[in-house]
Amino acid sequence: MSHTIRKIRVIFATQFAQMVEYRAEVIIWMLSGTLSLIMMLVWMAQAEGSPGGQVNGYSPAEFASYFLSTWFVSQLIVVWVTYELDFDIRQGQLSPKLMRPLDPFWIHYLGHLSERLFRLLPMLGLVTVFAWLSGARFTSDWRVYPAVFALAFLGFTARFLWEYTVGLLAFWTESSNAFHELLWLAYAALGGMFAPLSFYPVWVQNIAVWTPFPYMLGLPAQLLAGKATLEQATRGVLVLLAWLVIFAALRLLVWRTGLKKYGAVGA
Amino acid sequence: MTRYLRLMRIFIGATVAAQMEYRANFVGAVLASLGEVGVALLGISVLFFQPGTQTVGGWTFREALLVTGFFMLTEGFISVVVQPNMSRIAEAVRTGNMDFTLLKPIDAQFNVSTRYLNILRIPDLLIGLGLIIYAASGLTISAMGVLVAAVLYLSSLVIVYCIWLGLSTTAFWFVKTQNASELFNGIFGAARFPVTAFPVPIRFLLTFIVPVALITSVPAQAMTGQLTPVLAIASPLIAAALFIGTRLFWRKAVGSYTSASS
Repeated sequence: MSHTIRKIRVIFATQFAQMVEYRAEVIIWMLSGTLSLIMMLVWMAQAEGSPGGQVNGYSPAEFASYFLSTWFVSQLIVVWVTYELDFDIRQGQLSPKLMRPLDPFWIHYLGHLSERLFRLLPMLGLVTVFAWLSGARFTSDWRVYPAVFALAFLGFTARFLWEYTVGLLAFWTESSNAFHELLWLAYAALGGMFAPLSFYPVWVQNIAVWTPFPYMLGLPAQLLAGKATLEQATRGVLVLLAWLVIFAALRLLVWRTGLKKYGAVGA
Repeated sequence: MTRYLRLMRIFIGATVAAQMEYRANFVGAVLASLGEVGVALLGISVLFFQPGTQTVGGWTFREALLVTGFFMLTEGFISVVVQPNMSRIAEAVRTGNMDFTLLKPIDAQFNVSTRYLNILRIPDLLIGLGLIIYAASGLTISAMGVLVAAVLYLSSLVIVYCIWLGLSTTAFWFVKTQNASELFNGIFGAARFPVTAFPVPIRFLLTFIVPVALITSVPAQAMTGQLTPVLAIASPLIAAALFIGTRLFWRKAVGSYTSASS
């Protein structure tokens, strides 16, 4: 047991050191995920211009709270492992990683987690500035914050698992990055990046509740904006846990079959 | 001039031949195009889906769709022509391959800008054109409007090319430029909406600081006949200024280039 903990600590430390090296990039990556911010501005202008000063019960300030929250949460659950795996598999870089006495999965996972730690502080600074500029308000109920982080953590892990599975498709196809883009579209649409989920047609909402997407993005954002209850958060945690099990099993299955198929470049 | 046209034909032939080898990639490119247009259409539809919403920023659904069409067309232009070439500049500077480009008896900027084409993303262009034609079919549009829009859209393409070239040229000093273009893509995402859909201070920012509004909204306005003369003149002027500016910048960058090993 202590053996595993030491391994994890070492990997975490090296991955963190690597992220510190890319600190300027981390800031630029953060700023390039702008879809939530663009949607925020459009919806705010839309509410401003409508007769009652609001759309579907959202005032400009409430739109700002919701979309800044989705921005923050989406930054916490961002995953790029598909590209790394696609590269590793195509270039044969996977081979040396297979020699280690540990599933390469954990290196990528801990790498992402350490980057998150690094990202958190500048994120909070930016959210504060944007909130001040846009008039966004966040809930004062302190119990919401641990719930948000729990949902974000589970959402991140679930997303990491499915992105990892998509990345492993590089064993068979060259289009794994394209599959990643389509999945991202489903995540952004049903997660609530374009609009709060209640703005969608009812039949879309009925489909969305069966997917993990609304619970990992929209729900924590609603919690932060003071528009969701802790009961809903508890249900969200349970749904995400169920999806986590499914994705973990799927990842393992694809990994085992893919590895048999894998002949390194030059082998 | 004819020499450059002939060279372009040779370049295009060579890249098309190279890409036909990887036919499986076509599936991936089509999926990516579908994702692209999906994001653009979802973003605009969910705004108009709300009860009581007739216009967004003063644009009807059809008119806003016109902007989305121009956005997709420009995305296609970037993926087919601009990005494949510009992303290779940094690589060439880093490895020293830029030496060969500079030694060739043709203009180096022309060479780095036209050498590669990603024909797999041509569906983006078709989707964009399709959206524009569909949107226009439900609007009253004059032949004059189409003509002005076409001219203004040419300025748009020049602006896009210049911004990318300017960002990529920094590779002569910074080695890595991928992040800068990533940042541009993030801001360019705002161009999928009519510029008037944004709050006033942002509108100014998107028109004059990072001129993404000129790229999609202005040609669409020209088609619907809502164009103000100021913007009609500003667009080609900014394009021309940017072209001269990036040309000078490119010259300066090449002048300070000292190969990879020396």
